[in-house]
Amino acid sequence: MTLSEIADGKLAPRLGIKLDNISKRYGEHTVLDDVSLHVEPGTVTALIGPSGAGKSTFLRCINLLERPDSGTIQVDQHTIEPGKDVNSRDLAALRRTVGMVFQSFNLFPHMSALKNISFPQQKVLGRSKEEADERSRQLLERVGLKEKADQHPGKCSGGQQQRIAIARALALDPAIMLFDEPTSALDPEVGLEVLAVMRELAADGMTMIVVTHEMQFARDVSDTLVVMADCKIIEQGDPRAIMSDPQEARTRRFLRAVLER
Amino acid sequence: MTWLTEWACYLPQLMSGLGVSLLIAGISIFFGYPLGLVLSLMVTAKNLAVRTLGLAVVEIGRGAPALVILYLFYYGLPKFGIAFESITAACLALTWNSAAYSSEIMRAGLQSVARGQLEASNALGLSQRDTFFRVVMPQGMRSAIPGLMGVAIQMFQGTSLAYGIAVPELMKTAYNIGSQDFNYLQIFTLAGLCYAVISMPATWITVFFEKRMARHT
Repeated sequence: MTLSEIADGKLAPRLGIKLDNISKRYGEHTVLDDVSLHVEPGTVTALIGPSGAGKSTFLRCINLLERPDSGTIQVDQHTIEPGKDVNSRDLAALRRTVGMVFQSFNLFPHMSALKNISFPQQKVLGRSKEEADERSRQLLERVGLKEKADQHPGKCSGGQQQRIAIARALALDPAIMLFDEPTSALDPEVGLEVLAVMRELAADGMTMIVVTHEMQFARDVSDTLVVMADCKIIEQGDPRAIMSDPQEARTRRFLRAVLER
Repeated sequence: MTWLTEWACYLPQLMSGLGVSLLIAGISIFFGYPLGLVLSLMVTAKNLAVRTLGLAVVEIGRGAPALVILYLFYYGLPKFGIAFESITAACLALTWNSAAYSSEIMRAGLQSVARGQLEASNALGLSQRDTFFRVVMPQGMRSAIPGLMGVAIQMFQGTSLAYGIAVPELMKTAYNIGSQDFNYLQIFTLAGLCYAVISMPATWITVFFEKRMARHT
């Protein structure tokens, strides 16, 4: 039984994500107020809401880039109570299960596209250079960037960089992918290439949580729409239902602002 | 005798002095840079004792004139039974000096690495060690290169201070030659030219690197 087989879901059933009573404060300032969210494996959850609602912070709590003050995080097979001490082995296991894509791509500028994808595989999964490179080339092909393997990120467009970043995260065979406004830094047309890759990933059954302002994507691709405002989840459910008939006044106001502009 | 013929006859002697100067500069840079890296990490360490020690070494190294440190090593330490050859004392003092200056440049370089790079490394599950050596350091050192080259030039010129403790480097050699037949003007001009011939191309290379960096960022 190898780690990658577990990560591929061949042996253990996927458990999805359970986040319970997550709270986060910076001093006096509350960012997340007792937020809970359950995500079924193989589903896509879109997280929308006004700026400052806590969407990104909440997403970053899932792989502990932000450390919540209290609550329970259950990701696939791993349970972590971030209020207490988290040992580094649990943290490493958690992060191996969760892939993340950032608004600003965060590729390593001093490495080629191929190296960006291969280097973490070698270090985190202990793959040989040959194995890692082979997997990297497969993934580059999958995101339509086979010919960019030897280019450095600086020579790639934003859309290409983001697709390389997605390949880098996928290379570690995560059970869950987190997307933090993956198209916000991109021109609308360039964003489409990234959304296309994400649609494909969703169709392949990847468990995804996406913080986004792309309402079309949220409506068409996500199984669950989660609306956050003022440090809380104010509404969640079927995306089409919420978009056509929001129950909360705050949701209505937000949707009017983003849909009817 | 014209200046040129005088220079021609002084030059061989002066070259041995230049060799000593380059040796001292080379040693103080070779040991100063790695030490500077360690200091830059100590200064940003969480542990208060480590941080304080690092700060003390850096601030003394930058705050005290190199000549003072040089004298302390050569004339001061024998009080405690620690005596160095003059050239060793010069190397030690200038190493401290270059470590202190380069540590500040490296610290700035390391801190200039975008936060997103650390977040990406953490999210990928890279160890702290791999994150530092493979992600942060290569990028931070890149932006520190022009500054570090500046320190190297400064160190080379700083070797002239070793004259003060009778190290037979370029300056001391020039002085000795000058005191034989009192051609101070000619010999010090030649010594100055020797420093310039090394320093000026080094400065040009630094500027070239700075421009290249600016283009890439």
